[in-house]
Amino acid sequence: MATTDKEVNELIKREYEHGFVTDIEADTFEPGLNEDVIARLSGIKKEPEWMLEWRLKAYRRWLEMEEPDWAHVGYPKIDYNSISYYSAPKRKEDMPQSLDEVDPELLKTYEKLGIPLHEREKLAGVAVDAVFDSVSVATTFKEPLAKAGVIFCSISEAIQDYPELVKKYLGSVVPAGDNFFAGLNSAVFSDGTFVYVPKGVRCPMELSTYFRINAANTGQFERTLIIAEDSSYVSYLEGCTAPMRDENQLHAAVVELVALDDAQIKYSTVQNWYPGDEEGKGGIFNFVTKRGACIGKNSKISWTQVETGSAVTWKYPSCVLRGENSVGEFYSVALTNNYQQADTGTKMIHMGKNTSSTIISKGISAGKSSNAYRGLVKFGPGAEGARNFTQCDSLLIGDRCGAHTFPYIESKNKSAIVEHEATTSKVSDEQMFLCRQRGIEPEQAVSMIVNGFCKEVFKELPMEFAVEAGKLLEVSLEGSVG
Amino acid sequence: MKPAPTLSSAFLHPVGHSLPEPLVALRKQRGTALVDMPLPTRKTENWKYSSKFLKLTDEMANALPADGKTGSSLAVPGYKVAFLNGVMIPEASEYPDLDGITIQSFDDLSDDEAAELADRLDSTLDNNAVQMARLNSARFEDGLLIRLSPDAVLDQPLFIVHEVTADASGSAFPRIYVDAGRHSQITLVEEYISSGSEPVMVNTVSEFTLADGANVTSIRLNMEGENVQHIGATGVRQQRSSRFESHCVGFGGPLRRHDLQVRLEGEGAECKLNGVVVTQGKQHYDNHTTIEHIAAHCNSEETYRNIAADQSHAIFNGRIHIHQDAQKSNADMNNKNLLLSNGAEIDTKPELEIYADDVKCAHGATIGQLDEASLFYLVSRGIARREANVLLTMAFINELVEQIPVAAVRETAQTRLNQFFDQTFEEA
Repeated sequence: MATTDKEVNELIKREYEHGFVTDIEADTFEPGLNEDVIARLSGIKKEPEWMLEWRLKAYRRWLEMEEPDWAHVGYPKIDYNSISYYSAPKRKEDMPQSLDEVDPELLKTYEKLGIPLHEREKLAGVAVDAVFDSVSVATTFKEPLAKAGVIFCSISEAIQDYPELVKKYLGSVVPAGDNFFAGLNSAVFSDGTFVYVPKGVRCPMELSTYFRINAANTGQFERTLIIAEDSSYVSYLEGCTAPMRDENQLHAAVVELVALDDAQIKYSTVQNWYPGDEEGKGGIFNFVTKRGACIGKNSKISWTQVETGSAVTWKYPSCVLRGENSVGEFYSVALTNNYQQADTGTKMIHMGKNTSSTIISKGISAGKSSNAYRGLVKFGPGAEGARNFTQCDSLLIGDRCGAHTFPYIESKNKSAIVEHEATTSKVSDEQMFLCRQRGIEPEQAVSMIVNGFCKEVFKELPMEFAVEAGKLLEVSLEGSVG
Repeated sequence: MKPAPTLSSAFLHPVGHSLPEPLVALRKQRGTALVDMPLPTRKTENWKYSSKFLKLTDEMANALPADGKTGSSLAVPGYKVAFLNGVMIPEASEYPDLDGITIQSFDDLSDDEAAELADRLDSTLDNNAVQMARLNSARFEDGLLIRLSPDAVLDQPLFIVHEVTADASGSAFPRIYVDAGRHSQITLVEEYISSGSEPVMVNTVSEFTLADGANVTSIRLNMEGENVQHIGATGVRQQRSSRFESHCVGFGGPLRRHDLQVRLEGEGAECKLNGVVVTQGKQHYDNHTTIEHIAAHCNSEETYRNIAADQSHAIFNGRIHIHQDAQKSNADMNNKNLLLSNGAEIDTKPELEIYADDVKCAHGATIGQLDEASLFYLVSRGIARREANVLLTMAFINELVEQIPVAAVRETAQTRLNQFFDQTFEEA
């Protein structure tokens, strides 16, 4: 289908839509990392002594750790001393009490991103805790949430206001020594989100955070902690974008979820960090540790992710299924184009009786990108009657990209059953012919086929996100196939 | 951090069994490269599950004596070559002079032939991926070279019986090289057996090169005793429209490791890899396979089944690598595992690495126990529970056992399987 090559090239060249820089005054640390920087960071955030101790301990541990190199990705070595570990928009005197008080420049930024807070507030009923660089700028919908007893605030506030909860759960799922990037995050995390849903409460609305890396040379190290008490339910959305820059930026986040008896947590991500230009220059290094612990009986944690951005992705949202009958789910669409590299997947650790997990992973690679699924399904000796189903499908678009699957399956219990299947395919000439013959343009046809390929995952996303995800795929993909 | 343990230098001194000069030189060169070679640890990805079962003592660096009696559990219906502790025993071997086929021990090669062979040894294996089998190249004392001229057909299967006598601790390094010319055909059986009870290591390398249209069937039967650590590597290179079929039947031991690497280098080449592994007691079995689709239009089909009973541990790691220009590749990998006991462990990792878009690749893996409903069905029809267990377990692997093209191997395997069933499933 050489005739469409020209169109194809034009479309491939489509630039990153969210690549603008918001020019606002910011308080930024000099690049570098040492105990003083951590102390200063902790000081600015007015953190209690124990928190500083916790960070320093993590830092000392981190110094002894080695950066992992097993992932199927390649990137230049990161100099951790050339990164600034704190950047906050300068604020006037006090924190804004309502949206009207927020710096209009900031609000404009969100509007450009397509998440006008006002609109969301009214139409979608979504409370947005927007993290702009490293400080939570404004939190909407706090009151109705407070009425329900749900705590939804920045992690810095939580450290001040709910130290007991933070102390109890912070690092309980992802300990500081877990891996290199989690260690770094534990030492220098600047802000993030804290959610606490009390016993028996069904969170009245979808909670949402929008992350955005703005200032040059800064790393973003947010930390999210979500605790769902007995019989509670919460759905949390996270979206990410970053401006275009030539140099690479580091994003090393940690997300911890704790689900107690009968609790349910649904965590959805649409990740659209700047992927670098078509030569592979610039872009975000997205090295994220996400893990949920189903501690209680009949608890459930569900991860849904749509990954279209970042130059390098290293991310494995996992579930530790301890409680009897607990359920873990992982639905993922990962799309890579140009020189993007993704090594992503999940871990399902079955420890409790009758635990079950489902993994549906759809990888799409185009251009010269590389897309790998890496997963672990593990049944401990106590995982009586546990069950896993894994399906990972790859779709290749173009003959210079790579699609890989590295599933680890380990079983120590005979009554546990695991089924794994994987397929690789391309957008077939027959499919294209069928669509073209019915008068559908090639671009639309590809988009249709890819959307069909991802359908199983999209249906897990909350409505607004599903629309956004579909659009994102279209933008990233259009024209990749002729 | 503790530095990783390295290979004891004791292992790097080949004993002076007479070999043609070029091979002695090769051995020396390979040995030099292994000085201070780090031994695999838990962090060595392809030895992740097996490193702790690798137990090398300095005594095991000794060579096992190359004289003594040999015996095979197989009633050999075809031709036979006997190896004892890695050295060929001509008196115990039986094969006629055949047109276009030469079967020679490395010992009998002229210097020119040996030089030619030395150039080709190790060329089929990715030596970094089979780090422990590299030891073979530094230590082999003898080997078997089989050459088939174009269109030569070996009319009966050739049995290569590798026996080790473990009356003292030590190691043996059997080696074979098969060079199959254009449109030649051969079926060969490698059988590994042992006697004696001292801890020993058997470290094997088998290499196959298949010219255009060659057809090779290789059967590997691992039946050594509980004192034998077996580390084997098989390398295959296939040219245009050649066909390679492998059947591995393995019974566990303190450590059994087999790396099978196939390179499909010519268009239209095809390979089929079957494997059955049965482990019991505290046995350990680790199969690693790699299929490299280098040329376009190649097919590969891989089916492995593991059965683990008691506290045993079975591992499968299959990798399919489709290179950038290997369009129209078809690759299918399937691994099913049966866990018969709660103390047993199965680890599997079916990997795909794909750099071409017009390909069909699929892999599947399952781990489970015998299906309760099927058991109930059989029991409800008056079949004893034990019998039902045996039937279903056998059914799990029968598809692969049946495909083994040599009846004598099927029978030997079945006898050994029956022993396994007797030990595993109690009379009700």
